[in-house]
Amino acid sequence: MIVEPISLGQRGVVLATLVIGLVLSLMPMSLGMAAWRPDWQLLVLFYWLLALPHRVNIGVAFILGAIVDVLLGTTLGIHAAAYSLVAYPVVRHYQRLRHFSLLQQSSLIGVLVGLARAITFIIEHYLNNATLLSNYFWPVLSSAFVWPWLYLILRKIRHRFHIR
Amino acid sequence: MQPTRMVLNSIVSPVQYLATLPEQTFSRLSENLQSRRQMRHELSQLRTQMLDMQGEMQRYQFLKLENERLRRLLASDAREDSLRMVTEVIAVDGDSFLHEVVVNKGTVNGVFIGQPVLDENGVVGQISSVGLTTARVLLISDQSHAIPTRSERSGIRVVVQGVGQTNALEVMHVPHSTELEVGDLLLSSGLGGVFPEGYPVAVIEDIDRDLTLPFAQVTARPVASLDRIRMLLLVWQASAEQQPVYNPVQQLRERMRGEDSENDS
Repeated sequence: MIVEPISLGQRGVVLATLVIGLVLSLMPMSLGMAAWRPDWQLLVLFYWLLALPHRVNIGVAFILGAIVDVLLGTTLGIHAAAYSLVAYPVVRHYQRLRHFSLLQQSSLIGVLVGLARAITFIIEHYLNNATLLSNYFWPVLSSAFVWPWLYLILRKIRHRFHIR
Repeated sequence: MQPTRMVLNSIVSPVQYLATLPEQTFSRLSENLQSRRQMRHELSQLRTQMLDMQGEMQRYQFLKLENERLRRLLASDAREDSLRMVTEVIAVDGDSFLHEVVVNKGTVNGVFIGQPVLDENGVVGQISSVGLTTARVLLISDQSHAIPTRSERSGIRVVVQGVGQTNALEVMHVPHSTELEVGDLLLSSGLGGVFPEGYPVAVIEDIDRDLTLPFAQVTARPVASLDRIRMLLLVWQASAEQQPVYNPVQQLRERMRGEDSENDS
């Protein structure tokens, strides 16, 4: 496949959406709401993995995970590992996933978000003896719920800036 | 690893500041839109509160002097004063395994690792890592955190550990014959060398003297409302080598000027 060069501005748009995702997941909220907060940065990453698999790849997932590690103060590499692992099936099967209906996509995205969380928990459990709280997997539901809207918005942005 | 963390923390701190921006603008906006009457009401309320405090303060000064005198009579060291700085919480982790918050003061303000952090009610935690303009506070409710305390009533020393919940702490290794009672206030004992002595930490909520277990199961509730923290106090000992920097920009300018004059001479 021939990869056309991409302008700096278009790169900036992709980067900006990822940063906005990070900001949304860090924004202070009341604890009750925060328990339901979707993993925004992961959802944005999934979108770009699906839309531009030749540009946004597992390496980007790894770097994003490392940034999340620094932001959350977790042991470096936990989120990086989790994000790279869940990025793999998306990059591997992006052509199939693109033809799924939004409903199918969002349930699959929910499973992947849950998988990322499970991997994070398992590593945390071995390293820091973390215990599982009942609300840990709630964001799986909210992430699956917001996916169709996020998908449509990001597709609009992608078409608007002709990012291919 | 620590310097790497510091550099990385400093690099990502803009994202953290960006994340608090909407909330800050919103609260500033709502402050601006407050009605005059409401403001006046609040002002008068604050004035009476301040008068109350000042009255208490006079008594406190008197008691402090008296306490110092008495301690000197007993030939023990006078308690040293501590310096404080107000800081604001700018990020709370959604990550439920780690009870940490990020505050908007860093090494430029003289913040150091292991520094005790309080709020208006009691002990909140200690600094676990610092960046240039941000620092992470490990809360006393974190699973990896334990704090040495002393019961206010009976003077019994116990260690209070976090269990990963913001509203519960565990009191460790308490013998069944203990004199602790439900409702006892636990004060920091100052034994670990991290926290200064005498700040409220937790109130005992439940004691289960199940004799089949080696120790009594004692749970306590933190005095500080850990799930609602916004403004925090950083504490420095007056004699410690690290000192607070209230106005980092000014200090930097002064230092540069000082170096200039040294070069001139």
